[in-house]
Amino acid sequence: MSKKIKQIAIYGKGGIGKSTTTSNITAALSEAGYNVMQFGCDPKSDSTNTLRGGTYIPTVLDTLREKTKVDAHEVIHKGFNGIHCVEAGGPAPGVGCAGRGIITAVQFFKQQNIFEELDLDVVLYDVLGDVVCGGFAVPIREGIAEHVFTVSSADFMSIYASNNLFKGISNYSKSGGALLGGVIANSINQSYSKEIVDDFVRRTNTQVLEYVPRSVTVTQSELQGKTTIEAAPDSAQADVYRSLAKKIASHTESKVPTPLEVSDLRAWASGWGQHLLELERQSGALETLVKV
Amino acid sequence: MTKININATAVESREQRLGTIVSWYGKASELSELSQYSKGGGCGGGRGRRCTLCEATGPFSQASGCTDAMAECQAGNIRDAVLIKHAPLGCSSFQVALNTIYRYGLAMRGYKIENVTVTSTNLKEDDMVFGGIDKLRLTVEDVWDRYSPKAIFIGAACATAIIGDDIDSVAVEYSEKLGIPVIPMHCEGFRSKHWSTGFDASQHGILRSIVRKNPERKQEDLVNVISLWGSDVFTPMLKNLNLRVNYVVDMASVEDLAQTSEAAATVAFCNTLGTYLSEGLEQLYGVPQVRATQPYGIKGTDEWIRALAKLTHREELAEEYIAKEHARIEPIIDGLRKQLAGLNGFVATGSAYAHGMMCVLRELGIVLKGSQVFHHDPIYDSEDPAQDTLAFLVDNYGDIDDFMVSVRQPYQFYTTMKKIKPDFITIRHNGLAPVASRLGIPAIPLGDEHQAIGYQGVINMGYIILAVMKRQRFHQDLAKHVKSPYSEWWASQTDANILSKHPELIWEGVAGVDIPASKEGLHPIQEGTG
Repeated sequence: MSKKIKQIAIYGKGGIGKSTTTSNITAALSEAGYNVMQFGCDPKSDSTNTLRGGTYIPTVLDTLREKTKVDAHEVIHKGFNGIHCVEAGGPAPGVGCAGRGIITAVQFFKQQNIFEELDLDVVLYDVLGDVVCGGFAVPIREGIAEHVFTVSSADFMSIYASNNLFKGISNYSKSGGALLGGVIANSINQSYSKEIVDDFVRRTNTQVLEYVPRSVTVTQSELQGKTTIEAAPDSAQADVYRSLAKKIASHTESKVPTPLEVSDLRAWASGWGQHLLELERQSGALETLVKV
Repeated sequence: MTKININATAVESREQRLGTIVSWYGKASELSELSQYSKGGGCGGGRGRRCTLCEATGPFSQASGCTDAMAECQAGNIRDAVLIKHAPLGCSSFQVALNTIYRYGLAMRGYKIENVTVTSTNLKEDDMVFGGIDKLRLTVEDVWDRYSPKAIFIGAACATAIIGDDIDSVAVEYSEKLGIPVIPMHCEGFRSKHWSTGFDASQHGILRSIVRKNPERKQEDLVNVISLWGSDVFTPMLKNLNLRVNYVVDMASVEDLAQTSEAAATVAFCNTLGTYLSEGLEQLYGVPQVRATQPYGIKGTDEWIRALAKLTHREELAEEYIAKEHARIEPIIDGLRKQLAGLNGFVATGSAYAHGMMCVLRELGIVLKGSQVFHHDPIYDSEDPAQDTLAFLVDNYGDIDDFMVSVRQPYQFYTTMKKIKPDFITIRHNGLAPVASRLGIPAIPLGDEHQAIGYQGVINMGYIILAVMKRQRFHQDLAKHVKSPYSEWWASQTDANILSKHPELIWEGVAGVDIPASKEGLHPIQEGTG
């Protein structure tokens, strides 16, 4: 009997820290003894860079382009602590179809039964932002990932992207697609950021898995081409990622989220906007009082 | 051997599994040698699974066929199933030809003559933008209401595969809702450079969703025969071994397909058609495939019968049948050889079938200087050398000097005809017979592909050739009165593969176009077999 491989998809708006978070989770899982693969699904092909000293690897699609017959082993590259790194790759910006690229790359892997052959415990798909077309939804469809996590800050556009993803999940959930494990709240340093994300997850029937603070340690590690787990293993930030990885490893029950309608989302955001303005005014008044 | 993986809904393409090529030229013996990876063949580098053949490339392709159409010619020809083409309407254009072939096939096998039941979701601009899944759901429901089929196939097309319409989920949803197999087929045309991947796509779906997973009974006298629409020649043959025939995939019922896992063995009229299903039935359901060459020519039929008899424990019956048939056919074939002596033939058909046909023609003493096969599978899914049909041809019947792999390409065929000047050609696929006719060469259009099978097949082919040669004069007259569509420049060429070797020459042939100083953009090509 082959064991069940845990397949997880991590989505998030571009630039929100999705690859950084995914790579640190992968590194922490590997450090904890799991056999892990990170599968980058972004045409930029830089998902696994910090697992490989900041270097790019040949992508699945580029390799398939060069020759008709490809063995999956050719596109799997070893990273930090023996992590299996894969980049789907894709076309240059403005040409071709990146979504079809993801379909091609994911199908190629599924056909070759490679996850079983490598005896993997966990596969993490790091997928670009909004569910922009059918191709980007492939990792959350029937038979691929089981659990989806979204990386989001308290920024409205990031929450908007998460809400869009929730729509995709709830759509595919009717036909055996992946369910939502929760939100990884990133760059949470202000108390109100935490409140905003908490309020969003409450309204959409999900949970926050971990609050990851913005940290200069992460930036310093990335500049060395490394994850925080590798570059600063004793830092507090590394422990945050370890805790997050532990939660993901033990996570079993995902749910169908209840995404907000666009008008509700706007109203909700505007309500928070008012509230934040109010907070600012109050703290301003307080400052004036102190000065007097 | 290829691991048949039915966890994935999409089948691996031929080029990925078998290293299939569509363009090559040289001697048959060279290609046979290169295709035997286990003996160190392969010229494109790599070892084992990564081993590849070199392939000729050229500056353009004149014609081909579509993966989607080949999936349709199987999944759309199951008597009590319906195929939904999840595609814009144009992808259904093959239906016209297919319906004719289907009706002929039904008539030959004695079934009620009827039309194919193939529908289209008829996707438009809006569906491309917003997704066509709702239309697909509606079509599945309509098909169910109108036809109550035993199974529904959903075929993807280029358009739906690019936008990533999730046909897999719809298939799962309606399999549960309707209680019948609803089967997604990822057969979009761009998936493979050769149409035969379409066979594999439909057979993959059948293996995943129709074949009975845990058969309660074993039918020890049942043989799966993977075929197209040919007349029923296998039943009388296998009767001599007390075996019954289960024809799949074309014109089968869903139950015929389901019971393939209960059979004692699987054979195919052509290894290129049957390779994936044979291997799948063996790996997944323990139904052994005949590991021998195909039943063409006396020697091939002998080996094939013996291999089948061994699998089904009927060796004695087989020897009786073989001896009886040899005694019957040999005098007839001797007579035919005398009448056919000196004739120069040419075979232009699909890969493994072409190898079989060449065995039959050589058996009859026909001279074969060349051939055009539409693709080449260096190995089949079993990777068993016993099934190597090209090696069987070369080892037993000698070399073919001008062995060209070319996916139709009438311009190449035209040049080859002029060079080889055969007295007749045998062909199955459309498109090339008129080219031969215009050059005064009669064609044998093997609409019933089973005519060449077995011992009787050798005799049949002999009589067919004699009959067609009586019409040679008609074609010669025709040639005097038709105008060639090719320019004088191309008509003066003697090498059908010249543009593979020197793609820049194409500019010589284009009147009024200056030859550009730079050859940028044209494909470089190795000399020789490259």
